[in-house]
Amino acid sequence: MSHKLTDGGRVMHVGTLARVEGEGAMHIEYRDGEVTDVQLRIYEPPRFYEAFLRGRSHTEPPDITARICGICPVAYQMSSCWAIEDACGVDVPEEILLMRRLLYCGEWIESHALHIFLLHAPDFLGYDGAIEMAADHPDVVERGLRMKKAGNDLMDTVGGRSVHPVNVRVGGFYRLPTRLELRALRPRLERARDEALQTVALVAGFDFPDLEQPYEYLSLRTGAGYPIESGSVVTSSGGAFPVREFTRHIEEFHVEHSNALHARLDGSPEPYVVGPLARYSLNSDQLSPVAREAARSAGLGTTCRNPFRSIVVRAVELVEAYTEALRIIDGWTDGAAPSVAVPPRAGEGFGASEAPRGVLFHRYVLDAAGIIQDAQIVPPTSQNQPSIEADLRTMVQSWSELDDHALQHRCEQAIRNYDPCISCATHFLDLTVDRR
Amino acid sequence: MSEAVGTGAGRTGSAGDGTGGTDGGVLVIGLGSPDRGDDAVGREVAHAVAALGLAGVAVSEHEDPTDLIELWSGAAAVVVVDAVRSGAQPGSVAVLETGAAGGRLPQSAWSEAGRGGTHAFGLAAAVELSRALGRLPALLWVVGVEAAGFEHGAPLSPRVAAAVPEAAGTVVGLLGLRPEAVGSRGGGTDVSR
Repeated sequence: MSHKLTDGGRVMHVGTLARVEGEGAMHIEYRDGEVTDVQLRIYEPPRFYEAFLRGRSHTEPPDITARICGICPVAYQMSSCWAIEDACGVDVPEEILLMRRLLYCGEWIESHALHIFLLHAPDFLGYDGAIEMAADHPDVVERGLRMKKAGNDLMDTVGGRSVHPVNVRVGGFYRLPTRLELRALRPRLERARDEALQTVALVAGFDFPDLEQPYEYLSLRTGAGYPIESGSVVTSSGGAFPVREFTRHIEEFHVEHSNALHARLDGSPEPYVVGPLARYSLNSDQLSPVAREAARSAGLGTTCRNPFRSIVVRAVELVEAYTEALRIIDGWTDGAAPSVAVPPRAGEGFGASEAPRGVLFHRYVLDAAGIIQDAQIVPPTSQNQPSIEADLRTMVQSWSELDDHALQHRCEQAIRNYDPCISCATHFLDLTVDRR
Repeated sequence: MSEAVGTGAGRTGSAGDGTGGTDGGVLVIGLGSPDRGDDAVGREVAHAVAALGLAGVAVSEHEDPTDLIELWSGAAAVVVVDAVRSGAQPGSVAVLETGAAGGRLPQSAWSEAGRGGTHAFGLAAAVELSRALGRLPALLWVVGVEAAGFEHGAPLSPRVAAAVPEAAGTVVGLLGLRPEAVGSRGGGTDVSR
């Protein structure tokens, strides 16, 4: 809703933002046609997870923190497991590393397929939402549902449930799926991989506004393979540091207009970006050949700095996730122990993984009995808030002539570029525009 | 439930390849998280209905609303039981009738439910997306049980727990509206979890 002010300015306020996770609002002020303020206001109440983790056992964070989000619980489980295992000085064997990666592929598939088909594609095809889009493009929506279902089935088989998996524990899993159970998923995953390739071609043909982000990109990187469940940190300016040093480089700070902390990198006032664009731009050489070829055919270079093209990168990452899942399933043999013991010890541990929307960091301090003394969680949407606001500041200036409905639609599309998860960050959206 | 907290886990009732498994049948679905207080009431009502052993009625419990489209495709009649938050007294039971033969859900249901469920995709979105895809059963009722709280790990609150038999009776009553479907397929009732 927009209204003119007595001094001739204009204010626009968008109420609850649609098609993003959680509750937030957006406020834009124009003065004499110039954008003077853009605020992403996250008003979903903070949930104090870090506080109520204190005093709990070191075995509990995977189950407790998974509840922060219904769309990326595996990210919370994995980052917390790494951090607790780091604090306790335990390394897990190869089979558990592989099964963690396979489970994480399921989460990427669920999250990316939902976002591409039901949340973001309607923006590009000119619909208010997936329901309106489905009337004209039923085949596209049906494909998206099938692709997401393949992820649900993978999560169900490996994680025990398709939304909040219950099979993850510190040190590994309660039970490993059998080769037979995993092989049963193969036909659905193969079909979905083929459909993901068609999806890359579909979304590459969308119309993308011209916008190149100048921001720093930050992601994980591993010695082999695209970063999903683990890695160390790299940045687009050449920075590289282990996850243990995350808090030496990333500082969280509070801004008055949001319940979610913002974050800055190495003291810079400029925003930095995590998520698919950063991940792709820093790791495109690590994609599987089929995903790399899909990216090439979609016109993506080795880096991508247009946030609207994030939908193409997500489609490429879907190809990668199905391909990785099939690779792990094909190589799986039964017989490994589902977990290793993680005896507690006093210490501090650090863990990070690539949630679908970017790096998710956890830190825990344990006493000798394994009781959590301190906990810190840095979710990706918190890190991306400054860059979302910076994108909007750049774009709403050029959109100042749009009417409020069109402006709101464009702004929401720009915010959805980040697939923000506000439930995680509060730990999203009303729009106000103030034009004077 | 159909609002912002209904995002817990559920097991799909069918692990098939995209086709529904209840062709022409009658399906009762309990929707909600088992771990979030009164959000579990849909599942508890589903258990109560399953215990009645109604022939020809498949009962399942779910959580991810996007799964529902596949689950109910091909069914003749579906009852979804879910926790709701409307401002009524906790434990109140309300019925909303829709389905391919019914009207589109009101915008209010859409905007509320659209914000909940998994990543802004709720029960109402599943209903309307099914309708747009031509996959909505002819008859679909939503039986809503007014919830009191959604605390992590909490059991059902007393008034909501006390409403489970009434809600189950409401489900049976709705199925009774189609006696030619209930009991026509034979066999026992199975809860698919």
